[in-house]
This record gives sequence, structure tokens and C-alpha cells, in this order.
Amino acid sequence: MKQQEFFSSRWALIIATIGIAVGTGNIWRFSRIVAQNGGGSFLIPWVIFLLIWSVPLIIAEFAIGKSTRMGPVGAMAKTAGRKFGWMGAFIVFVSTAIMFYYSVVTGWCLRYFFSSVSGNLFKVDDYHVYWNNFANGYEPLLFHFIAISFVAFVVLRGVTKGIETVTKFLVPSLLIILFILFVRAITLPNAIEGIKYFFTPDINVILDHKVWLNALTQNAWDTGAGWGLILVYAVYMKKKEDIPLNAALIGFGNNAISIIAGITIFSTVFALSSVDAMTQVSQSGPANTGLTFIYLPLLFSKMTGNDTINLFFASIFFLALFFAAFTSLISMIELSTRTMIDFGLKRKRAVGIIVVIGFLLGFPSALNLKVLANQDWVWGVGLILSGAFIAFAVKQYGIDKFRTELINGYGSDIKIGKWYNYIIGILIPIQVVVLILWWLISSVSWDPEWWNPLHVENAGTAIFQWAIVLVFFIVFNKYIVAKTLNNNLD
Amino acid sequence: MEISTIITMVLVLGIVWGGLAFFLVRAIKYEKVKFKNGKE
Repeated sequence: MKQQEFFSSRWALIIATIGIAVGTGNIWRFSRIVAQNGGGSFLIPWVIFLLIWSVPLIIAEFAIGKSTRMGPVGAMAKTAGRKFGWMGAFIVFVSTAIMFYYSVVTGWCLRYFFSSVSGNLFKVDDYHVYWNNFANGYEPLLFHFIAISFVAFVVLRGVTKGIETVTKFLVPSLLIILFILFVRAITLPNAIEGIKYFFTPDINVILDHKVWLNALTQNAWDTGAGWGLILVYAVYMKKKEDIPLNAALIGFGNNAISIIAGITIFSTVFALSSVDAMTQVSQSGPANTGLTFIYLPLLFSKMTGNDTINLFFASIFFLALFFAAFTSLISMIELSTRTMIDFGLKRKRAVGIIVVIGFLLGFPSALNLKVLANQDWVWGVGLILSGAFIAFAVKQYGIDKFRTELINGYGSDIKIGKWYNYIIGILIPIQVVVLILWWLISSVSWDPEWWNPLHVENAGTAIFQWAIVLVFFIVFNKYIVAKTLNNNLD
Repeated sequence: MEISTIITMVLVLGIVWGGLAFFLVRAIKYEKVKFKNGKE
């Protein structure tokens, strides 16, 4: 099968990939995690893990996608060997499982945007009750449907006419909105207290291992490194395009946007919160929704004495959140679509199947926050395994050969040195083992029935669900790999 | 503002935003060179 579509330029590729990386994780998860981990103390390990987790894995994904011109299943089979195609299938499954509930979350953002624009958001007495009424009703289903349908329309149009055109509009718009919110937030009275907290380190907290592990998890989450999404967009990059510089731009660009979002949220909360500001930022609420859907609307209503201006800022905040979620959702559906195209299906049919499945399997998360929290836990931690599989593929290929031939090969503007070998070969495996063990051991300590797969967040439910998926793909590995590779013989 | 806050701010903003600016300038430079060489 010949490659037919490409991103039209380096900038189109970078904008689309920034669209993957910048999602709700940068805006609401980042601020919450910073607050829960000592503000400035968290930022130092967070920057370190950008360098030793995110950027190296983004480079690897770019190189694998560009060289194999296939989605994760074919890409892993070609890079690591046919025996390991199941790893690619697992990567696809994890991101697709996240897509099921991420579409629901995208729908929430859209719903709150509509509530802001219509003015209904400020006619609320109790934002907790307002959120609960919405989340426990049937409205999330409707907005989940709208979100996934919009994305289907974009992905159906293909890479150039669909993904590139839409992200070229949405990503710059998102950045402009964030900048407007940033300027408004830092000019609020008392905003400096939020900025101070955001950047003040506490030496005792820096030495806490949990802060380091949370910093690594946040990097794994919000840069999109190891999800397989960047790998799929790299399939559509031209041969002459560079890898290392583009990967660095995406990693650093993503974290730069997180800083802007963090300063905005902290300034707003410290300036407008009448009670303990930190409690408001760090409280999770149901399925970690507290800050965004319960406390921020309340704060926006108090931003100025003028309700119209307040509604404007609330509206553009939820619009930014929707744009961020939407561009990430596009990449998740493109990942599944590309995998099915590799499997022999036409794009139209593949998108149709994915969207119907995505809509149906998003039902439980749309109707029950406990299901959403469970899926978020299981596949969120599963992403670390996905990252490990990508590093494993590089190792199987030969790290030095991978670096010199695929990364530093034709098109590269800058050359990557031998440091890359040590990061992929030593540091990433260490990070994976430590992180997964820590998450699982922690979950044992917070749930006496840690083995029970029916609980929302514990070791048992994660291992049980991973095991089902892994066993399935390992058993059918031969068939999946053969079907994928045979359909793509040049 | 405490000195440790200022140091963290300079360090974090310097690495993240400084790094982004550095790579962005290099990318623009390479694109210009490619354009001049008629690769576009």
C-alpha cells in the first residue's frame, strides 16, 4: 500500500502534534498535581523528566512512524520483530480505551462552554449540585455523541484536508485564548501569591520520592510520549522532515504551555478564592473534576463586578479546554483508524467502526463517574507500559543503529549524540519499573482488597484488565501481524 | 519574593521557555536554508 497523504509542511506537522500533546492534562491535571506536590518543588523533577522521558520517547515515536509508515502494530512488528506485534496492539488498545472516556470529557468541556455562553453557568447557587446533576443525568451521553461525531467528521476527511486543516485553526486559537486568560489572571489583585506558590520550592518536599514519581507520571501523561499517537502522525511526515528538532519543539512546547496554564490557574485561585486557595486547587472531586467543573466556575463568577465580562472569561476558558481535548481526541481516533487501515479497511469504513464502538463503549463512563475513574486509572498507568514497549522496540532494533540510521538519517537538521543510547537503554527501563511498582504498591496500601478487580482504583483491577488484553493479543499475534504486514506489501 | 523562588522561576522558565525558543529559532533557520536551496 503506497503512502498517499502527508502533512504539507514541518509547521503543519508540529501544530498537529502540539494538538496531541496539549490536552486537558496540561490545564486541569497539571495544576492539581502541582498543588498536591508542593508547588515549585514539583517543577524541578518535572523539567528533568521532560528531558529523560518525554523528549527521548517522542524522538523514538517519530523515528518509528517515519521509517515504517505504519500504525503501532505494523511498526512494532517491523522494528522489534514479528513476535512483538502484540506490543503495538496493546499500545493501540490503551490509547483507544482512553479515547472512549476522553470523548466523554471532551463533551463535558463543550457542555460547560455552552452553559457559559448562555449565561446559565452564573445562575447557579451550588456548583457542586450543578455538576452532580449534570454528571449523573443523561446529558453527558448527548455531548459525548456530539464530540465523537465532530471528530469523526474531521478524521474522515483524511490527514491533509481534515486533521491538518482543523488543527491549524484550533491549536493557534487555543494558544491565543490561553494567552488572554494568562494576562487577565496575572493582573488580578493578589495574583502574585499564586505565582509565588507556583515557583517556591521546599527542600523537604523535593526529597520526597512521591513528588518525583508524580512528576514522571505527569510527563508521561501530558506530553503524549509513549501513547503511539505521535508515531501515527509521524507516518504522515515527509521523508525530508527532521526528527530531533521537531520532537524537542513538541516536548518543550507542551511543557511551556503547561506553565502558562499553571500560572493562570494559580493566579486566579489565589486572587479570587475566599477560603484556602490550596485546598481548592488540590482537591480532586469526583473523577478529578473538582477544580475545573466545580471551583473554577465559582471563581469566574467573582472575577470582576461585571457578569458579562466574567461570562466572557468563563466561556473562553471552557472553549480552550474543549479545543485542547478535541485536538487530542482527533489523534486518538486517527490512531485506531490508521491501525484498521493497515489491517486492510478503507478510511471511511474504519472511522465508522471506530466511532460506533467508541460511542457505545463510552456509554458506561458517560453515565457513571466510577467507571470513568476506573478506566482512567487502569489505562493511565497502562501508558507507562506503552512507553516501555516503544523503548523495547528501539532496543530490539539496536539503539545505536536506530539512532544513526533512523533518527540522524535523511532529513535530520541536528544529530543526536550517544547520550540517547543511555537514556533509552538504561534510564527509561528504570523509570518504567520504578513507576509501575510504585503505583501498584501504593494501590495496595490504600485498598485492603487490593486484589479485587471490581474495585475502582487498585492493583487488582489494573492487572486483571491488562492481562485480558495482553493475553488476547499475544494469542492472536501471528494472525494480527500477518494480516497487517501482508496488506502493506510494497 | 524569596531568593529560592526567583532561582526556581529562572531555572524552570529558562529551561522550558528558553529551550523552546532555542529550538524554534533553529527550526526557523533550517527551514529558511531549505527554502533557499529550493527543497520546498
